[in-house]
Amino acid sequence: MTLMPLSKMTRTARCLRTSRVLQRYLDGELDDVPTAARVAEHLEECRRCGLHAATYRAIKQALRSGNRDIDDLALRRLRAFSQALTEPDGPQPAG
Amino acid sequence: MTDHTAATPDKPAGCTPAAAFARYVEPEVPVLYRVALTMAGQPVDAEDLVQDTLIRAYRAIDGFDGAHPRAWLLTILRNTHRNRARTRVPSLLHTGEQESQLLDRSGASRSAEDVVVDAQFEAVVAEALAALPTMHRVVVQLVDIDGLTYAEAAQALGVPRGTVMSRLHRARARIRTRLVAAGLVPRRSRP
Repeated sequence: MTLMPLSKMTRTARCLRTSRVLQRYLDGELDDVPTAARVAEHLEECRRCGLHAATYRAIKQALRSGNRDIDDLALRRLRAFSQALTEPDGPQPAG
Repeated sequence: MTDHTAATPDKPAGCTPAAAFARYVEPEVPVLYRVALTMAGQPVDAEDLVQDTLIRAYRAIDGFDGAHPRAWLLTILRNTHRNRARTRVPSLLHTGEQESQLLDRSGASRSAEDVVVDAQFEAVVAEALAALPTMHRVVVQLVDIDGLTYAEAAQALGVPRGTVMSRLHRARARIRTRLVAAGLVPRRSRP
């Protein structure tokens, strides 16, 4: 039986470890600073994982760029409604 | 009646309901509207949903301690949406209008080829998003489009943070699979 070379095993282990936290890392939800640093380092050194991360970044970017325009008028109406609630003669919330 | 002059760690003493509302609720109106658009689907329903949420928040502001106003408001929004949904057909469908907006990008400072490739990429992402199961699609919309954190999305949906993470992971993997099938990203084995 042929054993996987240590260097290869180490790379695979690092890939697996990165894969487990990649989404959180890309979303800025990885609070653990040393782990985030390890992920960043691995994405630099591993082409496959770097490519994987780049794809997810592009997906996030595509979704963000499709970020629907918020209707300014609707937002203004809601702000006005919100402010009116706190005025004595504004719309009173029914109990 | 609640003594609204009592201080809490996050709420200063002497904070009247109107002042507390202006301080904690009014800055969150754009986020509430954005999330309401995702949950209600139609702009007119979203506006109604936010108005109802604001009314409920105003009624409850006396009892709010000032900690995590967005999370508190998202919970109110979720409950309000659920109550409204009981009396009408749920509208979580992705509209054609939203899809066309997803493809609408400015191509300034990029080559025509880049714009075409980007448009293809975005078209596949839009199709993949529309094809996701509703619960997965809503999580992607809340986090990637509306910009909520995992915790905020969990609050808005009334599910654990881990559920948000797993749905997001699966949804993005499905989007990626579509991109691979379309030849827009390289196929590679998972680590």
